[in-house]
Amino acid sequence: MSLAPVTEEVVAPEGDVAPDTPWVTIVWNDPVNLMSYVTYVLQQHFGYGRARAEKLMMQVHTEGRAVVSNGPREAMEADTEALHGYGLWATFQKDS
Amino acid sequence: MAKAFRRSGRGADRRFVATLDADEREVVASLMDQVHDLLEPPGHPSTGDDAFDDLVAGLDLTGGDEPPAPVDEGPRDPALDRLLPSAHREDDAAAAEFRRLTEGGLRHRKARALAASAAVLRADADKVALDEGQARSFLTALTDVRLVLGERLDLRTDEDLELLERAATSLDDDEPLVHVIALYDFLTWLQETLAGALLRG
Repeated sequence: MSLAPVTEEVVAPEGDVAPDTPWVTIVWNDPVNLMSYVTYVLQQHFGYGRARAEKLMMQVHTEGRAVVSNGPREAMEADTEALHGYGLWATFQKDS
Repeated sequence: MAKAFRRSGRGADRRFVATLDADEREVVASLMDQVHDLLEPPGHPSTGDDAFDDLVAGLDLTGGDEPPAPVDEGPRDPALDRLLPSAHREDDAAAAEFRRLTEGGLRHRKARALAASAAVLRADADKVALDEGQARSFLTALTDVRLVLGERLDLRTDEDLELLERAATSLDDDEPLVHVIALYDFLTWLQETLAGALLRG
């Protein structure tokens, strides 16, 4: 029987949003945009890999929304404008 | 009979090629015209210089707190709210400010993609061959047409189209609704094949 002290696992906090980047861009589900197209837009605009883009697309599809980027307000407004250009239903807001 | 978009060639010679007959091309082109005119009503001044127009479209030339005069007088078409949705769900002032700064440029860029795509379709050849830049514009133009048709069909949830299609089976083939649903489905198919061809890259 080991007498070694019990070590506690250090659990990393959920998410990876840095404290100085409290704004987010959200894509909302809509009945028109195709799953393949949403994946394409996320890859095209954000440069996300196929797997990450598809995961976010599925989150939009099944949960109704997904945070697709975070950062300073100006950057989130620029993302939102670009996504509107692609016809996606995007909004920006302060992360809560 | 239409043939789906597929990739052809490599590198700079890569093209995205579909086959559409004259009727199919004209139907899609005229829908693109209609959405173009919704975004930029005819008579709206354009210098013909896209870079300059983009710059001007993004500027607030009134210089004050007054909102710019709407391009279109009268009540706003709800389809415009699908093409140019509100950017903030809780803060109306932030949404209005965003709209003031971005709407002109967005309208112009969408209108340009729609006009370019309609022009390609009117090239008088069944074979529609797009280079990568044209394909990206075409994909977005198809989205904007489908957003407007989706609004006209009152699609609000993922289930609405299926419900509508089921209800339409009891209608005569010459009912306008049956025609619009068929158009919407055709554009969905066309866009799906183009998105798939672009995604493979």
